[in-house]
Amino acid sequence: MSEHIDRIRDIAQRLLAEGRVDMIVGFRKGTLPMMNEPCFIKTPTAVDQLVWDSHCGINLANYLVDRSETIGVIAKGCDSRNIVTHIIENKVDRDKIVIIGVPCHGMVDKRKIQSLADAEIEAVAEQKDQLVVTAGGNEMTVPKKDVLQENCRVCIHRNPVIYDELAGERTEEQSDVDRYADVHEIEALSPDEKWHFFEDLLAPCIRCYACRNACPLCYCPTCFVDESRPQWVGKGQDPTDVRTFHFLRAFHCAGRCTDCGACERACPVGINMRVFTKKLEKDCFEQYGWEAGLTLDERPPLDTYRLEDPQDFIK
Amino acid sequence: MKLVSIDKKDWEKGIERLRPRYRLFGPIREKTYHAFQRLDEGQLPDLAFANTRLSPKDIVFPQSKAILECSLDETKADHHIMKSIAGDDTPQLVLGIRPCDASALTLLDLNFNTDEVKDPYWIQAREKTTFFGLACDTPQSTCFCTSVGGGPFDEKGLDVLLVDADDRYLAKILTEKGAAAMQAAGWQDESDANALLERRRGAAEERIRSVVHTDRLKDIDILRLHGAPFWEDISFACINCGTCTYLCPTCWCFDIQDEVHQKTACRMKNWDSCMYPLFTHHTSGHNPRGTKLQRLRQRFMHKLKYFVDKHDAGIMCVGCGRCVHSCPVNIDIRHICNLMNQYSTEDACEAQG
Amino acid sequence: MTHMGIEPDRMHFSWISSAEATKFVVVAKEVTEKVRALGPNKHFIKTEARGAQHV
Repeated sequence: MSEHIDRIRDIAQRLLAEGRVDMIVGFRKGTLPMMNEPCFIKTPTAVDQLVWDSHCGINLANYLVDRSETIGVIAKGCDSRNIVTHIIENKVDRDKIVIIGVPCHGMVDKRKIQSLADAEIEAVAEQKDQLVVTAGGNEMTVPKKDVLQENCRVCIHRNPVIYDELAGERTEEQSDVDRYADVHEIEALSPDEKWHFFEDLLAPCIRCYACRNACPLCYCPTCFVDESRPQWVGKGQDPTDVRTFHFLRAFHCAGRCTDCGACERACPVGINMRVFTKKLEKDCFEQYGWEAGLTLDERPPLDTYRLEDPQDFIK
Repeated sequence: MKLVSIDKKDWEKGIERLRPRYRLFGPIREKTYHAFQRLDEGQLPDLAFANTRLSPKDIVFPQSKAILECSLDETKADHHIMKSIAGDDTPQLVLGIRPCDASALTLLDLNFNTDEVKDPYWIQAREKTTFFGLACDTPQSTCFCTSVGGGPFDEKGLDVLLVDADDRYLAKILTEKGAAAMQAAGWQDESDANALLERRRGAAEERIRSVVHTDRLKDIDILRLHGAPFWEDISFACINCGTCTYLCPTCWCFDIQDEVHQKTACRMKNWDSCMYPLFTHHTSGHNPRGTKLQRLRQRFMHKLKYFVDKHDAGIMCVGCGRCVHSCPVNIDIRHICNLMNQYSTEDACEAQG
Repeated sequence: MTHMGIEPDRMHFSWISSAEATKFVVVAKEVTEKVRALGPNKHFIKTEARGAQHV
């Protein structure tokens, strides 16, 4: 368990006891190794259920919209940026959210950990920045930094950007990471190679929409893939429809995505979903100097017009 | 039941003899997991797997299938008249299906092949497919087949059960279809290693660690269970995706959609999930299961209560553990089943204070 | 779009006012020639119902 958990529980207990929030949204211990389950608690005595460790990658900002209660939510860096985006987009009322910010050292990827073991993983224990992994009766020690989620590996906003309470010491931000190495690799391919790269990437997709539903940004009452009059996208397994769903969803997240990795984490067939959004994030950064969800005071680039907006692609 | 020994040296030869007679399917490793695929020329099934990520129900109940088509060309006499797309009768053989997934087929039969309703696509697919199961020697921590009337060496739904016995497979022939396939493959050496098979079965069953209780489900009052206080808590994490439904070997819901492609139109039958908000959306705009709680409760009430009451076949779950393993937010059917099974109205009185 | 594998010369952007008739003619001709040189588009086209890819 992380050193933050005691502070988190104290804060949660106080907020509930003082009646400042109706409920706390956090994690409770999961039923499987490397998994925690998002949960809510409503009484101060229940705070001992809350956990916080390196398996808290799910973005809890996903659970804030369309609720009438005042909510205390535990938020890491990326989660807090999504909360900012929710506020800017009027999906969440700032006065009805109490943000318990938690500086994050990166969440681990359960698939990466499983790939290191020959047998099913039975348990994973945390010891500072190491993981002790038990599989097939054997134990091995793995440095956390070797099995971080891909988005955490290149994260430059580990501290919450907005919070009402802070549950730990601010952590140093990573500075010498290349956030767009994977995008550059694709940009270097020919159009045909690019087409086949994405064809290959999306071949396992089963249209379960776990990526869409895990994403805090996807809150449309009726998603474009579910519209039927007119029907924009087919609902079957045609590769054209599968590809359209993914790239169009990425476009809807352009300028809003915080690279929290919830989509990749949720996918049951392990598709590297972030490949779509990283390109758009890179373009927003390079062309508009924009990173989503860092401040409540600026409107996103697709929302505003400035004279210096790039237009050399327009003849 | 005849027991045949297949020397592993004869495995490939047998498969090549089957190839001209059957369209073959088997588990193939894809990047990080196994999936049932059609076996191409010369391709062998990779049987070094626990279970596939998706269940093989796709082979007899495809995720996406065009069932009717018509021409939109108004110069043609039969324009806009929907016609059946002819089915394909080619015999299929699935190598390496696990007993849990095979027993799921018998549960799907209870929906698709009844006295009142006979789904022609299901029936045709079932009749043309032969299933060679592979018994499980190393069940996963998420497996609970023994809690639901199944087991790692269970025979329901199978035509032949294969047991890996190191240098050979022991094949238990269970049906005539199975016998025909074994003959076609030339796997005929009889064996009397029944004792070995039973020992392996016992050892595998011992390894199952997950226990799920279902004994009281039939007796609990349906409305009280529906109104139980724990639904709000267990449905909170759910993100309403279709992962559990699409990976589940016993889920059977589908949706009909029409698609237009230039001058032709077709009617598609696609998998659907009761977890999606649109699943029960009426054309009036009303949605009887518009909230997450209602949908999640529906899933588990269906599988663990309505199905139990309607059929005499236990719960609508075969304990494969896929939903447990793959749910992005760790909703666990084992936990929910135990909660439901031990629910009594005394608890309700306490909860209401 | 080009990141997905659509050829760069299939997509063009231009500001043309309704008062800029000559510019419209020039751009229309240029785009037509560039796209024609690429040949028929093969991507994002559905001509028939295609079923599951997995099996």
